[in-house]
Amino acid sequence: MLSPERLALPDYEYLAQRHVLTYMEDAVCQLLENKEDISQYGIARFFTEYFNSVCQGTHILFREFSFIQATPHNRASFLRAFWRCFRTVGKNGDLLTMREYHCLLQLLCPDFPLELTQKAARIVLMDDAMDCLMSFSDFLFAFQIQFYYSEFLESVAAIYQDLLAGKNPNTVIVPTSSSGQHRQRPTLGEASMLEGVEASLFYQCLENLCDRHKYSCPPPALVKEVLSNVQRLTFYGFLVALSKHHGINQALGALPDKGDLMHDPAMDEELERLLVQIPGLVNSATANPEASCLPSRTPPRVGSPWRPLHHARKMDAESDGSTEETDESET
Amino acid sequence: MIPGKYRSVSGRAANNVNCGLHLVIQTSSLPEKSKVEFKLNKETPSFPGRLLQHDLERNYSSRQGDHINLASSSMPSFPILQRSSEEKILYSDRLTLERQKLTVCPIIDGEEHLRLLNFQHNFITRIQNISNLQRLIFLDLYDNQIEEISGLSTLRSLRVLLLGKNRIKKISNLENLKSLDVLDLHGNQITRIENVSHLCDLRVLNLARNLLSHVDNLNGLDSLTELNLRHNQITFVRDVDNLPSLQRLFLSFNNISTFESVCCLADSSSLSDITFDGNPIAQESWYKHTILQNMMQLRQLDMKRVTEEERRMASVVAKKEEEKKRESHKQSLLKEKKRLTINNVARKWDLQQHRTPNIATNQDTKVSDSPSQDPSQLHGSAVVSAFPEETGSLDSGLTSALQGLSVTDTHLVEVDGDTLSLYGSGALESLDRNWSVQTAGMVTTVSFTFIEFDEIVQVLPKLKMKFPNSLHLKFKETNLVMLQQFNALAQLRRVDQLTIDPQGNPVVNFTLWKYYVLFRLSHFSMQKINGTEVTQNDMIMAERLFGILAHVASSELPQYRLISILGDARKKQFRYLLETKGKKPGLVNEDNNDSKRLVGENTNRATLNYTTRDFYNERLEEIKEKKKFCKMYMEDLVKEATDINMKNEALQKLWPQMFIELVRDAVIEIRNKNSYMKLCLQQITDQK
Repeated sequence: MLSPERLALPDYEYLAQRHVLTYMEDAVCQLLENKEDISQYGIARFFTEYFNSVCQGTHILFREFSFIQATPHNRASFLRAFWRCFRTVGKNGDLLTMREYHCLLQLLCPDFPLELTQKAARIVLMDDAMDCLMSFSDFLFAFQIQFYYSEFLESVAAIYQDLLAGKNPNTVIVPTSSSGQHRQRPTLGEASMLEGVEASLFYQCLENLCDRHKYSCPPPALVKEVLSNVQRLTFYGFLVALSKHHGINQALGALPDKGDLMHDPAMDEELERLLVQIPGLVNSATANPEASCLPSRTPPRVGSPWRPLHHARKMDAESDGSTEETDESET
Repeated sequence: MIPGKYRSVSGRAANNVNCGLHLVIQTSSLPEKSKVEFKLNKETPSFPGRLLQHDLERNYSSRQGDHINLASSSMPSFPILQRSSEEKILYSDRLTLERQKLTVCPIIDGEEHLRLLNFQHNFITRIQNISNLQRLIFLDLYDNQIEEISGLSTLRSLRVLLLGKNRIKKISNLENLKSLDVLDLHGNQITRIENVSHLCDLRVLNLARNLLSHVDNLNGLDSLTELNLRHNQITFVRDVDNLPSLQRLFLSFNNISTFESVCCLADSSSLSDITFDGNPIAQESWYKHTILQNMMQLRQLDMKRVTEEERRMASVVAKKEEEKKRESHKQSLLKEKKRLTINNVARKWDLQQHRTPNIATNQDTKVSDSPSQDPSQLHGSAVVSAFPEETGSLDSGLTSALQGLSVTDTHLVEVDGDTLSLYGSGALESLDRNWSVQTAGMVTTVSFTFIEFDEIVQVLPKLKMKFPNSLHLKFKETNLVMLQQFNALAQLRRVDQLTIDPQGNPVVNFTLWKYYVLFRLSHFSMQKINGTEVTQNDMIMAERLFGILAHVASSELPQYRLISILGDARKKQFRYLLETKGKKPGLVNEDNNDSKRLVGENTNRATLNYTTRDFYNERLEEIKEKKKFCKMYMEDLVKEATDINMKNEALQKLWPQMFIELVRDAVIEIRNKNSYMKLCLQQITDQK
């Protein structure tokens, strides 16, 4: 706890680095807003709940965008919340447009800006045909990179443009060995119609950036890994590679691996319980609605066009998802 | 030989040809009895193909036997007729040359007192050589090939002129025939009625089977009692009211289809007998009673007597028709007004949606882009609302099913049986009115068009209150763009059906929108969305897709958040309600209970609310103040804490030294026990 480096920072900087002040300010603000309600059950309890929710990552639900964006932890929590809430959409296999994903984002954060979603979509679609449909996992990972590292990516974009602009098709440049300058000319062959920039050069610039950058960056080692596989790459190629890199994903810690993306046993259990409570699903053993959820439910009316009822268990089977979907192709 | 109708002119058959007014024509025995002689000019080659020498010789000799003498004449190409003096005495005033295969009129010599001349069934092409027969009263040229009426100018005494079944194209050259009583031109090619205005003694005019397309120019025929126009192509009739004596008018087998085209008949007081059979008008359902209603003087219609019963029925039906017409006229006027208003509202909506910095040009392009929309809107006059806005008078006079309640050029409110339709955002204000319980109770469908959804959200509580039975909501051109917006519908009492028209509602393009609606509004147990029934599977899918969202939204939110969000919703509802006029305090409690019940109904979804963009921004603005204060407060706290921390650290550093000094001081003090004791005692006494 009392590590020397912790004591090495002056007070403000220490607090700022851990974003303690942000949370404290927010907590006090929330307290002020809801003082009538909170005063009923005690301020101590309020603070307990608040910081508990910060730890659990539920504090960002239905909050305004400025708060969600404020700290890396908030961003990661938001990503995780989005994944948990809409994993089922992905599991269902639906391909959605960028606007629809944006809509889902807005369900959790009413003023989420469209630009971010658009940028994320650009990563997936390689800046092409913005109306295309995207799968849930593609979008989610791209969105993660875009949202979590948004400032970093902006700087990277600037660097990339610089490198591109410095292109001179007829110049053969001798690469220097110093890493401090990021305005070097790339080495090119004579009749070069190659796009993008050279990977190693690019990496040098990025490494520089990471050192200087205040905001969060992906671990440089992993970035190097990404860049070492290719000779040249475009900006969006780089981003796609970032988004698909497992290591970076794990370093972030918000989302599970791609393979496990659709798995969340705890939530699945919860879902089953909810499904059972749908009205009209008369399986008499399970038909007692939990009071907290559906207290004044009226019994289903006679003559409502329900299909023959399935046994509750049948709906668990994964395969039913897709066939039911095609059956309902009336939309 | 002579068409039968003319026989009845006098009513009796007699040989008296001398009576001026009543013409009696002997029946067909005449031709056999007459003995005629023809003289033929043998020198005629040049008559253009009409005179066939051989034919004449052959035919005449066979038909008439040896009574006919064909003699040459001084005039080229015309045969000269001579009768035996016996004949002349017997039938001094009549001459029949029926079926003589004549191609020209022969010159008739020495018969100047002839009164009746019959040329029926020949091939005569021109009326000639009869100018000398100035006493002629009856001229029959039925069934010939005459192409033009001519050569009659000297026949001033002519009373009956029969030119039926010829090839006459034009009525002309009748100027001098002022005594004409019967003019028969049936079976010709006449296209117009003309040049008959001077025939003031004409009683019968037969123009059947011609090519007439209309009837006019009938003035001057003051004696006309019968006008036969059957089998023409007449589409309209005029001037018949200028015929003071007309009693019988036959219009069978023409092209009359409306009464308006023969409306002058209504003004003719003399008409008693009319026929319309074979016209399109006779097929109409309203034919009989319209004719009877408009022509009260009629005695026979289509050759059948008109009974009193029929007349009475006709007037009754006519009255009903009048009523209906007036009613439908009113309706169509109202519909037109509505249509204009809706177009206007649509235009305004479009302008709103495509807002550009340069509004002026946008307006211009909008106007030119939509020429189909009524140009009369550009005159922009406000149509006064059809019904006043006070409370009670809404119910009075609302008998017809279609009620346009408020029609101005900016919005339209309409109640049509069970549907309340609102066009344009101004229409939302109409929800504030005092609707009668009956009207409001009947409304089951509410339709919103050209109104921003965010504005609709604000009046949903009012809707819930005033129209408790509204179960079906329809949205068209309401700018539904986010799934979130459907959260706002949860506050209603109940919704059975939802129709979101793709036009103007981009949200319909989302794949998941229906499932989201079913999920969020699951407590309504909706039956239909956009016309398709909701099935069990749909509900399951909806829950499957979004169930976790609900779970997260309810159970994972800290308690204080839950309360604050739900509290927010309640507060918002109150705020919307408070903004309405005429709010009674008693209602507050009702809504309190309502929203409590609502909260209880669906806790796990209740946190999914929709705040309109404006309200949201307002709230964020409000919070800014608080945030600033918090920041300052925290800064103060931090400063304090860091100060204390600094002091603490400083103390930590200085403490060892201070401790040593303290101990040293103490030890030095106690070195001399006696003086220390004295010092302490001194200190105690000093304290008193």
